[in-house]
Amino acid sequence: MRPTVPWLRPLVALVVGGVFFIPLYIALINVFKESRQVASGAMSLPIPPTFDNLIRVLTSPDSLFWSSLRTSVLVTSLSIIILTVLSAMLGHYLARQNTWWSRVIMVLLLCGLMIPPQVILIPITQVLKALGLMSTLQGLVLFNVGYYVPFGVFVFSGFMKGVPRELEEAAAIDGATRWQTFWKIVFPLLRPATASVLIFLGVWIWNDFLNPLIIYGPREGTTIMTGIYKSLGQYAADFGGMFALMFLATLPILVFYLLLQKQFVKGLTGGATKG
Amino acid sequence: MSEKGGTVNKLFAAGAMTLAVALALSACSSNTPSGSQSSAPASGGKQKVSFLVFPSPNLPESYWKAQVDLVTKANPDLEVELVAAPSESERNDYAKQLAASGQLPDVQIGMQDLIALEPSLATWTPEELKDFLCPTCGAVNGKILQLPTNTQTIPNVYYSKKLFQKAGIAEPPKTYADLLADAEKLKAKGITPFVTGGVFVTSQPWTAILATDLYAKTPDWMTKRRGGEVKFATDPAMKAATQKFTDLATKGYLDKRQIGQDYPKTQEAFLGGKGAMYPMGSWFAAAADASSMKDDIGVFAWPGDDGALHMPTFTGGGLSVSATAKNMAAAKKFALAFQLTKENLDASVKADALFPAIKGYTPPSDTGPVFKAVYDLWQKALNEKATVPAFSWEAGDTAMLPGMQGKFWSTAQDLVSGKKTVDQALAFLDTEWEKSG
Amino acid sequence: MAAGTTIHHHKPGHAQAGVRWRRPGGKGAGLWHFLSFAAPGTLIYFCLVVLPITLSFGYSLTDQALLRPKTHFVGLRNYQLLLQDETFLQSLRVTTILTLIVVIVPNVLGVAIAVLLDRRGWLYNALRSVFFTPMVISSVVISVIWTRILADDGPINQGLRALGVSEPPGWLSDPDIALYSLSSIVCWQMLGFCVVVYLAGLQGVPQELAEAAAIDGAGPARRFWSVTWPLLAPALTINTVVLLISAFKIFDHVKVITNGGPGTGTTASVALVILQEGFVENRTGYASAEAVVMLIVIALLSVITLRVLQRREVQL
Repeated sequence: MRPTVPWLRPLVALVVGGVFFIPLYIALINVFKESRQVASGAMSLPIPPTFDNLIRVLTSPDSLFWSSLRTSVLVTSLSIIILTVLSAMLGHYLARQNTWWSRVIMVLLLCGLMIPPQVILIPITQVLKALGLMSTLQGLVLFNVGYYVPFGVFVFSGFMKGVPRELEEAAAIDGATRWQTFWKIVFPLLRPATASVLIFLGVWIWNDFLNPLIIYGPREGTTIMTGIYKSLGQYAADFGGMFALMFLATLPILVFYLLLQKQFVKGLTGGATKG
Repeated sequence: MSEKGGTVNKLFAAGAMTLAVALALSACSSNTPSGSQSSAPASGGKQKVSFLVFPSPNLPESYWKAQVDLVTKANPDLEVELVAAPSESERNDYAKQLAASGQLPDVQIGMQDLIALEPSLATWTPEELKDFLCPTCGAVNGKILQLPTNTQTIPNVYYSKKLFQKAGIAEPPKTYADLLADAEKLKAKGITPFVTGGVFVTSQPWTAILATDLYAKTPDWMTKRRGGEVKFATDPAMKAATQKFTDLATKGYLDKRQIGQDYPKTQEAFLGGKGAMYPMGSWFAAAADASSMKDDIGVFAWPGDDGALHMPTFTGGGLSVSATAKNMAAAKKFALAFQLTKENLDASVKADALFPAIKGYTPPSDTGPVFKAVYDLWQKALNEKATVPAFSWEAGDTAMLPGMQGKFWSTAQDLVSGKKTVDQALAFLDTEWEKSG
Repeated sequence: MAAGTTIHHHKPGHAQAGVRWRRPGGKGAGLWHFLSFAAPGTLIYFCLVVLPITLSFGYSLTDQALLRPKTHFVGLRNYQLLLQDETFLQSLRVTTILTLIVVIVPNVLGVAIAVLLDRRGWLYNALRSVFFTPMVISSVVISVIWTRILADDGPINQGLRALGVSEPPGWLSDPDIALYSLSSIVCWQMLGFCVVVYLAGLQGVPQELAEAAAIDGAGPARRFWSVTWPLLAPALTINTVVLLISAFKIFDHVKVITNGGPGTGTTASVALVILQEGFVENRTGYASAEAVVMLIVIALLSVITLRVLQRREVQL
């Protein structure tokens, strides 16, 4: 296993990584360049850097960024917290019960993992309309919960198999209720799974485009991604502003991800290594 | 584990806080009735109206704000909430998507697929239409759904005088043969003769050729197509016109690489000197006058074989009101005020080079040179009774079937890129027509 | 999670017998347990996924149009029309090409890059983050960035012109190229996912095995094919299924970058066509039939792929 040329691997890795990074580099540096410079030379370094683009987006009179940021933060945080609670309990229930109907529910949920939203969007609008929740924030959150619950259950119930059943039995013998046992004893043990679910769903829901575009009508405002889409026309000639808006829209979720990166990657690869 | 556990604990604390805040906020927002949900006048006795507009290079968000402010200043009882469509070219699709999901704003501007939107729109009465020059323009099944506020000529040919000079062209072409000869001269000098672009832009020369070669002879062609008397693929005039359009691409007068760029980019390309001629609607005059090269831009009407003037025009494009608007009276009041206030019309002339079709209205005198040229061309066509419909831009009962406009535009791109032959393209349009009907 | 799955789990029967919950209510306790733990999630899932899917099937047998009040039952007519609908068939072709590219390219490059990065040290850690970042960025943002890069006056064509190419390709405007440009963008975004999954797989490859093979005189290529690659089989399964499903339902990129163009439907994916028919052309019944076909194709493809690859895992 001795490498014949010791510097070859780092060099190749660096070059490949560098090429891969170019689009991100372009996106990043153009935030700090004037629109004129963006059009003429996209690759050049921003010297001197300008913060005009960021300031323009942050202080724009229509406050597009701030209002869609608020919407996105609300939608994402509400959705992932409700999802974590509901799918942890459901996952626990399905992992511990072995009745025919719990198996049916599990199979139906697993099928839900591969259903593309496009297939159900048309009837979803009808269902939400019937509930009086079409084009409301609550409606979008409700859809997110319904659509992503299979993923949460999948992660939690898989993880639950590794939690010793004896713990719960002991608690039951001590007279604890199911509710107490779950929240006081089991749930704290599920932290890695919870972290994975929070991060995965956080990233997906934050970045979601199609569902808010259809479900969360235009009157109430936009989420951050539909906001970007809708301002493409407005920023058509203002590349710097566009890149600044995209940068600001990505920053919160990127920070969220970086903070919890370890759990994220672990959650992602848990199945691949087969233990 | 303890370290990670710490992070997760903090996350939970943060999460719980967010949840509390979020719940509080969403409770608030669900308690406040928004304009769309309440029929009663909102606080302060104001009548709320939501208004779907579209941003374009000519019409940024600030323009719409200013226009609405003019109306609300004169009508303090109205309160208007702006809703922006993603882009100019997508405003129609967007409105239809909103209508289909029950979210159409109370008032819309510039809807094109009126037939598809018919069930969602309120009808205007003759009394409400008394100030409009053409109170029957754009009728759908005899009903007027959209205020016929302005006329547009689609397209004119804008050209760069400098680039024409460079290619040794002394004056704008008079006949179609002249136009081709000039294009050849430009190409020989390495200048792209025609600037083109994506979405509807590609089809502009096609619309122009159909005006001089098809509509000039058969002004009711579309009605005949709707009656099944003619078809795209079997009509010789349609086929010849389409062949002429396709030849422009095969001869290299159109740069087919430009069909990937959106409308704002296309405009920028012409104003940046990336081509000599730009077939485009009258609204481009506003952008031309606002640019630094306004004195370099000339205008001529797309010439036919015999050189006679046939100007494709379209009247309509104004405001329409949703049939389910909660406050119909306020919505209609706003729409009429928006369309009939002189300051609003003046602003639309300056920003979007519209020709208001309102009785007794004349455009302000301080418009730019390009607008004047385009306006004069239209007046000349009116005097000579030389106006014809603008193909794919017609409205209501004389328009293509719902959804066909987009198909026509994308077919123009297929012809320019060489993806479809003339026969394939026309057969495709017939097939899609049957599907829409 | 990896640690969790190693623990042997109990047989379900044993569990049933083992848990005796001391709660008042006797038989009602089971129901209460269901209501409190399982019902909320299940109910929402049924209302927002199971019910809509059932509705989709129902709509697909009608001529429903949301803006038109009357709806008629038309039987299988929508499905018959679908088979002759050039727009839909074209979208199936487009989606198939895109899916093939997106399943193959990130998988191949992903293995190569994972093997390259399978070392310790800050450099490799940093590079792993670089490859993973696009997964965290919204496809809308990715699409806008790439639209700029591939524009005719964008950096790539500027570079090509500087190198003396007078007519560089119209990456997004040439109907023969646009679909491949689009696919490449999706590949770029999905690559990081594959790299991470393969890296995790590589960590499960015992170092001793490779060393033993090296002592036996196997070269690097041989070592990879006979030792490493078979052990990456589970990673290959995960990547392939995830890529397959993500590619087949692609919408965001198409909507933002080309909106189905240039020309008629040259890059229009099935998802785009369904939404166009349903929400724009207002033919909900017909669009539902398209959605049902899409669902069946996706289900079949993923089940078959999963079966084939899992059988392969067992055989290896």
